[in-house]
Amino acid sequence: MKSGKIPNQVLQVGLVFLIVGATMILVRQRFIPESFGELGHYRADAVEVNASHEIQFAGWQACAECHDDVVATKNSSFHRTLSCETCHGPAAEHAREEAEEDPPLPTGKELCLTCHRYLVSRPTGFPQIIEDRHEPAKACHSCHDPHDPVPSERPESCAGCHATISRVIAVSHHAPLDCEVCHEAEPEHFLRPRAHLPRKPFERDFCGNCHAAGIETPANFRGVDLTALDIPKIEQDTHGGTLLCWQCHYQHSPEAR
Amino acid sequence: MNPAHKAQLEAALQQVTGFIYPNEAELHWSILVVIYPYITGLVAGAFILASLEKVFKVKDLQPTYRLALLTALAFVFVAPLPLQAHLGHPERAFEIFLTPNPASAMAMFGFVYAWYLMVVLLLEIWFEFREDMVRWRQQSRGLKKLFYWLISLGSRDVSPEAVAFDHKAVYAITILGIPSAFLLHGYVGFIFGSVKANPFWSSVLMPIVFLFSAIVSGISLVLILYYVTTLIRRKTLDQKCLNALAAFLFYALIIDLSLELLDFIHRLYESEESIEILAELIFSKLFISLAIVQILLGTIGPLLLLAFALFTGLPNELKRLAFFIAAIFIQVGIFSTRWNVVIGGQLFSKSFRGLTAYKLELGGQEGLLAALGLLILPFVILYVLLKLLPPWDDARTSDTKPLEG
Ligand code: HEC
Ligand code: HEC
Ligand code: HEC
Ligand code: HEC
Ligand code: HEC
Ligand code: HEC
Ligand code: HEC
Ligand code: HEC
Repeated sequence: MKSGKIPNQVLQVGLVFLIVGATMILVRQRFIPESFGELGHYRADAVEVNASHEIQFAGWQACAECHDDVVATKNSSFHRTLSCETCHGPAAEHAREEAEEDPPLPTGKELCLTCHRYLVSRPTGFPQIIEDRHEPAKACHSCHDPHDPVPSERPESCAGCHATISRVIAVSHHAPLDCEVCHEAEPEHFLRPRAHLPRKPFERDFCGNCHAAGIETPANFRGVDLTALDIPKIEQDTHGGTLLCWQCHYQHSPEAR
Repeated sequence: MNPAHKAQLEAALQQVTGFIYPNEAELHWSILVVIYPYITGLVAGAFILASLEKVFKVKDLQPTYRLALLTALAFVFVAPLPLQAHLGHPERAFEIFLTPNPASAMAMFGFVYAWYLMVVLLLEIWFEFREDMVRWRQQSRGLKKLFYWLISLGSRDVSPEAVAFDHKAVYAITILGIPSAFLLHGYVGFIFGSVKANPFWSSVLMPIVFLFSAIVSGISLVLILYYVTTLIRRKTLDQKCLNALAAFLFYALIIDLSLELLDFIHRLYESEESIEILAELIFSKLFISLAIVQILLGTIGPLLLLAFALFTGLPNELKRLAFFIAAIFIQVGIFSTRWNVVIGGQLFSKSFRGLTAYKLELGGQEGLLAALGLLILPFVILYVLLKLLPPWDDARTSDTKPLEG
């Protein structure tokens, strides 16, 4: 090896790297789809491929043209958020009057149970049933109209839906108090509970209305006569610091003794 | 649903406790994904050990330098295979090279890997062995001659200047290689650490913890290999070298343990909402593999053993045996570390309300046998490499033979 020149071995290794690099470039040109990267990190033509698939779903607006009665009922019912084809399956062909058969009527239980079977992960208050205990012998649609499902009767009291709280409060010190004493609930809450949530007390003063020492027990508190009750009193300014009362006392079953 | 799958799912569901989401009953990252970080860890660790000798001039480690390099090479060949076998469409894997996506950490794996294999390991080994390869070619004939000619890329210059250049090149590449090895395995930790949705993984410490466990595993593997190969070749073990290996192993293990403790205490102190389910996980499904195998047998045990062997006046034979046993336990411990991270991280529900189980299959693409195969393969490759490129001092051809220590 002569000094001042690039050593032989570097040339040899460099050649190998050059070959590998060149192969990479050639392979890239051969294999990358033409439209790659036009729109993002994917083959832009894939959009067209997907767009060319036959349309299967028509959407509920399409059904309204002929089934306006069903659409009207459903859209004002508990199932208003469901699309027709969620239950009846894809019906684009039918809506275009091309299908030979009508869409199926999903009369089996499994469909309803997909959404209504009891599952802990579902939000509280979502209507759920335990299939073995809820009229197991009959089909769901024999009692519930799938387009206007109502629990056969609208509950009369809060207990119809808030059974646990009602049972707890009924045997507690707050048993004499109706729910409305502490919660103002609009009648709409009975129909569309989540859209019209009742109000909850949010400050210490609220409990103080009855419990603060030095305050006369009100004769008429939101329509309830409390004078006959022996309400225990506390020094509201000092009792419990600045915490909310229900951080220590469970409001629906308060205990102190 | 395919009946076999159904039976499998039913068996998995028997093990479920509490509430889990429907897609969590079966784990998606199987034992192959456990093996992947295990093997890359060994690669990075072995390489970092090798660089201790070159860059930091730890002369005692000289007998293991070439062995460590070849070990790293044998394992790096196998490193991508578990991922490949895990893919549903292995044949599409090369596409990540064609259309690099810098926004995806996973998609960059190919480049991290290629950089490390091509630019660091192969180059360093080539320059390190070049002179010997040229001489081996001169001494052999037939196919073997052709082979040495091929891998030496036809090079024939063994003048002192050329050899001196080789040494410089090796030095430069090693300096480049240390951050690269950190990158390779830190990257693996990064992949896990950046999964925001998984509180067991999501931690900035993850890459660093991975790195140090990699160093620990690499050193202990080279120690085992040095021990075994020397005994098989009926040569004497270099006690100084073993002492140095064990000392480095000991310190790396202490750092590794403290990092893991830091991570643990940090989580405990933060007490995010996931802490309860993680505690339940650790005390039920992971108790044996984490508390017993990883921490007791895999870390504390070897630490005590190493400390005892290093710092007391044990006779040399016993010392060596103690090092060897400690290294074996460390391997088992590191494997279960990988297991606990990969499998453990998938055992709890994202609802934080339930646990599922992992059922290891025997056969199949992602079964135990495939995994064992992938664990044995690097040793087979290493055997071939040791035959073709003997790293032993007595196989060296030149007069630049290092002085006997
Ligand atoms: C162009 C008018 C038209 C449109 C649009 C249309 N349908 Fe129909 N549909 C009909 C007619 C006509 C029948 C047959 C009436 C019958 O048998 O009583 C029918 C029958 C049905 C039936 C079966 C009734 C049964 O008793 O078996 C279902 C279910 C149904 N349609 C659902 C839908 C849905 C869902 C859509 C929207 C995607 C839709 N239809 C859109 C005209 C229409
Ligand atoms: C919750 C599921 C569900 C949804 C959503 C639903 N259906 Fe139905 N539908 C049924 C079931 C179940 C029956 C069969 C009822 C029976 O046989 O008593 C039925 C019956 C029908 C029928 C034939 C009988 C009838 O009542 O006229 C038509 C037409 C129909 N659906 C159209 C629609 C249209 C249009 C929509 C969207 C506006 C819709 N359905 C939404 C479940 C559903
Ligand atoms: C795709 C999911 C879905 C399917 C399928 C479904 N439902 Fe519903 N159902 C709902 C939703 C959403 C509500 C409204 C809940 C709310 O307002 O809180 C509801 C409400 C109801 C209610 C009113 C309960 C109450 O007291 O609020 C009844 C009864 C009901 N469904 C019965 C059925 C029956 C019977 C079927 C089968 C034909 C069925 N559902 C299929 C989603 C579904
Ligand atoms: C024999 C009539 C009958 C049958 C059959 C029936 N239900 Fe009901 N369902 C009722 C009555 C009555 C109520 C209201 C009282 C109650 O909550 O039990 C109700 C309530 C419900 C509610 C509201 C529960 C809640 O907590 O708000 C749902 C959801 C429901 N049913 C779904 C179904 C489903 C799904 C099926 C089919 C598997 C079904 N029902 C079958 C009579 C029936
Ligand atoms: C038709 C069933 C139904 C009836 C009847 C009903 N509720 Fe509710 N209530 C609900 C549902 C569903 C929710 C929402 C629960 C949730 O989001 O977890 C709710 C929520 C509430 C809340 C909590 C609001 C919040 O901000 O968290 C209060 C308070 C409440 N109801 C009070 C009442 C009172 C008082 C009555 C009687 C006057 C009553 N409810 C009757 C279904 C009902
Ligand atoms: C003494 C006053 C009081 C009475 C009486 C009362 N509540 Fe409440 N309730 C509260 C307070 C205070 C909260 C808010 C707690 C919070 O914000 O954590 C609350 C919260 C709730 C909630 C939402 C949180 C939860 O626990 O699920 C529901 C639902 C509710 N009440 C229903 C009822 C019903 C139904 C009744 C009648 C059976 C009732 N409450 C009676 C004081 C009362
Ligand atoms: C830090 C927790 C805490 C908070 C906050 C708190 N309490 Fe109490 N409360 C207690 C304890 C503990 C007792 C029982 C011991 C006692 O009598 O002091 C008690 C007792 C009571 C009693 C019974 C007194 C008696 O003489 O029998 C009433 C009434 C009461 N609390 C109302 C309230 C009201 C109203 C608020 C909000 C303004 C409130 N508490 C906030 C902890 C708390
Ligand atoms: C409308 C008046 C009224 C309001 C408002 C009210 N309470 Fe009461 N509270 C009562 C009555 C009445 C009793 C029980 C008397 C009895 O035990 O005979 C009582 C009893 C209690 C007790 C004592 C329980 C025991 O063990 O003796 C506590 C604690 C308490 N309430 C907490 C609260 C808290 C917290 C709130 C606010 C969320 C609240 N109360 C709001 C009327 C009220």
